[in-house]
Amino acid sequence: MTGFVGPIETPEDLSKVREIGLSKLLNRPRIAVGLSTCGIAVGGERLFARLKEIISSGGYNIALVRVGCIGFCKEEPIVNITIPGKPLVILHQVSENDAEAIVNAVLKGGVPDEKVLCKVSSWDHITRTIIYGTGFEQIPDYHDIPFFSRQTKVILRDAGFINPEDIDEYIAVGGYQAFVSAVSSRTPEEVIDIVKQSDLRGRGGAGFPAGLKWEITREAKGHLKYIVCNADEGDPGAYMNRNEMESDPHMLIEGLLIGAYAIGTSDALIYIRAEYPLAIERLRKAIDQAREYGLVGENILGTGFSCDIQLATGAGAFVCGESTALAASIEGKTGRPRPRPPRLTDKGIWGRPTDLNNVETFCNVPVILTRGAEWYRGIGAKGNTGTKVFSLVGKVENVGMVEVPLGTTLDTIVSEIGNGGAGGKSVKAVQTGGPSGGCIPARLFDTPVDFEHLNEAGSMMGSGGIVVMDEDTNMVDIARYFINFATSESCGKCVPCREGLKHTLLILNKVMAGKGTAADLEMLESLSDTIQATSLCGLGQTAPNPVLTTLKYFREEYEALISEGT
Amino acid sequence: MTEGPKMVTVTINKSQYRAEEGETMLSVAMRNGIDIPHLCYEESLDPYGACRLCMVDHVTCGKRTMMTACTMRAKEGLEIMTDTPEIVKYRSTLFELYLSQAPKSDVIKKMAARYGVTKTRFLKKIVHDDPLGGKCILCGLCVRVCDEIMGGSAIGFINRGPSTVVNTPFFDENPACLGCGTCAKVCPTHAIEIEDQGDTRVMKSWSGTRIKLQECPDCGQYFVPKAMLEEIQSIPDPGIIDELKTLCPACRAKEIAKSVFKSTFQGSVYHG
Repeated sequence: MTGFVGPIETPEDLSKVREIGLSKLLNRPRIAVGLSTCGIAVGGERLFARLKEIISSGGYNIALVRVGCIGFCKEEPIVNITIPGKPLVILHQVSENDAEAIVNAVLKGGVPDEKVLCKVSSWDHITRTIIYGTGFEQIPDYHDIPFFSRQTKVILRDAGFINPEDIDEYIAVGGYQAFVSAVSSRTPEEVIDIVKQSDLRGRGGAGFPAGLKWEITREAKGHLKYIVCNADEGDPGAYMNRNEMESDPHMLIEGLLIGAYAIGTSDALIYIRAEYPLAIERLRKAIDQAREYGLVGENILGTGFSCDIQLATGAGAFVCGESTALAASIEGKTGRPRPRPPRLTDKGIWGRPTDLNNVETFCNVPVILTRGAEWYRGIGAKGNTGTKVFSLVGKVENVGMVEVPLGTTLDTIVSEIGNGGAGGKSVKAVQTGGPSGGCIPARLFDTPVDFEHLNEAGSMMGSGGIVVMDEDTNMVDIARYFINFATSESCGKCVPCREGLKHTLLILNKVMAGKGTAADLEMLESLSDTIQATSLCGLGQTAPNPVLTTLKYFREEYEALISEGT
Repeated sequence: MTEGPKMVTVTINKSQYRAEEGETMLSVAMRNGIDIPHLCYEESLDPYGACRLCMVDHVTCGKRTMMTACTMRAKEGLEIMTDTPEIVKYRSTLFELYLSQAPKSDVIKKMAARYGVTKTRFLKKIVHDDPLGGKCILCGLCVRVCDEIMGGSAIGFINRGPSTVVNTPFFDENPACLGCGTCAKVCPTHAIEIEDQGDTRVMKSWSGTRIKLQECPDCGQYFVPKAMLEEIQSIPDPGIIDELKTLCPACRAKEIAKSVFKSTFQGSVYHG
């Protein structure tokens, strides 16, 4: 698959690979099918197979590749077409029945008009801009589509454009440049300094300054250290990390390598849930390709820096996203958290200092290094710099993967990008932050989406799930749904989480059945308060949020259920 | 020359106490007669922090955060409060949860009553044929001693969340069990039942695992699981002379007393 022979040893070698990659992207007609798990789920593979059959039986000079997901789930399967010198054209809702028309159009240097969504004349991959060409005046521009125009793609810059299974294409759009220049011309301290200056905060949910965590791990006592990527995304309705890994695995690997260099370790690990088989497969391929190019392994670029990346698959327990439970799981124990301190940065996997960051945190790093901290700080809000990827799901018209600068309001995300409630219904509330986030009512949609404002509203950033609820939704039922999830995902170690959540669920069931009393609501409140205050780990500490926020903002729905029952 | 432990001064409920640096605050409090309820703490094991009863207020710069005293390490100037209104409130709810989880446990009932909690608002958990008699609160002490101290790992947690229970793998008789009974000794709620029936010890709570007992060749009493005795005898130097190895502790004491008597008195009579 790759086109360059032998390891990359100098920046010049990287340029050679870049040329090879660019030719794959631009030099001949190309049909690219969006084949992340989501595209496959709606028939993308069948479409791909049909296209392959037509192209190979006709012996046509058309490249057919798999790309990642551009994030517009509602319009899947998505196909893009590039004809040299012409803009890249994005087709939507393509089925295998359209394959013939697509190939015929491409052979004539055109596109099948009835399937066209928009065109892209040039694309800023942040680390490098690709100019596709001009023409196709009648086709709307990418920026004319409201779903896209309100977004700022930094992390998803390559998603849907490059083949995630081909390292050359990642390098073509500027990939590995940040890593190569970091190991060959910057000290680890300088790298940490840039990340600190960028004000990048951890994207796993807690928002801890990433550069500071790197520095703490670098300075921790102990010769052997680990750097670990948390890819255990388990929130219902959230698939940001999956998409990032499936669409652009090298972006994560590059960020991880830079992190390993910065904290001073040669042992990197990606902890990923086994429910993400495609992400695992693409990461494995990507690591192998990077190893083949000498970007992973011994004595990288002759600098003396070595780093190997291993994958650890988890059995898909939500609690394993909790740092200490994740460490236990990697060690082969049951994924149960332990009290902190000691933090992982002091005593992590096998007792060694361990740096743990989320997938998306690492994905931010290459662009920060290439474009500088100043550039990065220009995106987002003060103290909440950069963009965040959200999965916008539920009762919303435009379901999809959305990337916006931090500080964007919920209204922009739900009404403008999401185009409001599905089927024209009015939106009642959103839940942010996964199962343990809170429900925010529509009247508070001017809330900027950043770490602090979401907390103020009783919710949280979490890893970035946004679940939209419309007028038909019963908020008590929503609370029950999430408590049911948290209860069954509780590891069972500490009492407030294990027993407290169980009783919360029992009370909610009782209320839903119309048998609740006013005393039950009081009990829900005091029990939620206790669970939050006394649980051992983040799962329990945040699990009552859906109950507390629905009680706060939608109390009348609880009361209605109670009065109906009496 | 070895240095002694570094001593620090900590503050508990506004009074100052001396403590070894790094000692858990729970042990400092206990030593000084300050009452902090706890169920999952055992000095010889790593702090576990699961029962949440020993939560106290950690005071720093006027701010208070709740932390478990069993995982908090003493250091110079550390200040905690054990009976603030918040602590009392949360502790009461936790006791209510315990009363509903282990409704048959007299230990829990007594303990909760000591802190003013005599009934629970929550539904009581009733499991028919519960091998732990409705007394287990999942503190994990039995699992931890079996693993960390005895090296047996004969029991473990099964399932998760509210369905968590402790038992042997697949609820089968487990030959890995030495029958030492340490699990029962550390259980704070006396939930674990063990019964000696003649030459057999039956771990009633652990899927009826049966273990053969060793008979004392002198007095005929069954006194120790055979497997455990073999384990001890396999240690290169158990510190016991061969003739005494198989005796029960009482007979062993008698034998030792006899031999001491012989060497002091008989020696002087016959060889003097």
